[in-house]
Amino acid sequence: MTKPAIPIKAPRVLVVDDGITMRLYYRTVLEAAGFVVEEATNGVEGYEKALAQRFDLLIVDINMPKMDGYSMLRAIRRDAAVQGVPALTISTEAGQADAIKAYESGANYYLVKPVAPETLTDVARLMTGSGV
Amino acid sequence: MGLVKSKTLSAGAFGGDDGGRDLSALLADLAARDSSVRRAAARDLANYPQAAMALCDRLEKEASPSVRAVLFTSLIRVQDGEVAARLAACLRSDDAQLRNGAIEALQEMPGAVAPHLQALLADPDSDVRIFAVNILGALRHVSAPQWLADVVRVEGHINVCAAAVDALAEVGGLEAIDALEDLRRRFPGEAFMAFAIETAIRRIRGK
Repeated sequence: MTKPAIPIKAPRVLVVDDGITMRLYYRTVLEAAGFVVEEATNGVEGYEKALAQRFDLLIVDINMPKMDGYSMLRAIRRDAAVQGVPALTISTEAGQADAIKAYESGANYYLVKPVAPETLTDVARLMTGSGV
Repeated sequence: MGLVKSKTLSAGAFGGDDGGRDLSALLADLAARDSSVRRAAARDLANYPQAAMALCDRLEKEASPSVRAVLFTSLIRVQDGEVAARLAACLRSDDAQLRNGAIEALQEMPGAVAPHLQALLADPDSDVRIFAVNILGALRHVSAPQWLADVVRVEGHINVCAAAVDALAEVGGLEAIDALEDLRRRFPGEAFMAFAIETAIRRIRGK
């Protein structure tokens, strides 16, 4: 007799990036892997959405209009309601200093663009502790 | 030969008439401790093109986001080649807010930034080239789609190309498709690049 399948609640990911193609890419890859994806186009919108909804992972670009990724992460980490949400920073900036700055701002992990689909899903699964 | 007004400021330039005194007082206010005073000075100095370099100087050390925002707005109103050059230099800053503010300001001054773009697109730092592409993507300049297609043809860094593909999806026409197809062949194993090019071509054809 087979066990009944236990429904897994799909982890919710907020993608914050000003590039429309980049957001679409993350959405396509992550949704195919079973994640639920919400988008924001800059740090201000990302911060507001992170406060308004529950997310299991934030994927944050660095160079964005209105509020950059560093500032958004610092704001998130100052807010008791959302400060524990894991954050993955994905940036074009490949220097070690950029990664250190991201970690100091509150990132839990740092990847350099472009990110292969399997890398993105593996890291998202690890960071959300999910079985999707 | 016509007279060329100097933009160099000196103390002696402000003495004498009422307008000079106003300018002098505003320049002093730009360094005030109170951010609201600095903000008001930054706003009013937009009426004095000769104060543009002082506004640029202030921009580089200003800590208040709201004063910075007004400084950018005033510089957009002045928008000449020297201002564009100073803002372009901000693209190398470690301060992400300053960089992003400079990008947004330069996008608003197509005529002034255009002469600087080729140098920015040839910069040894790939991040500066990405910022130049970001500027191009939102620049209301008739040559912007052609310059972006040129980036796609000659650029070797994948993230600069990706930024150009993203911008071409917004502003490019059917004439950009050959360049995009060539780019696909240059990065055959990159999943994101294939996705971005496919998306761009679909959006261009759908326009």
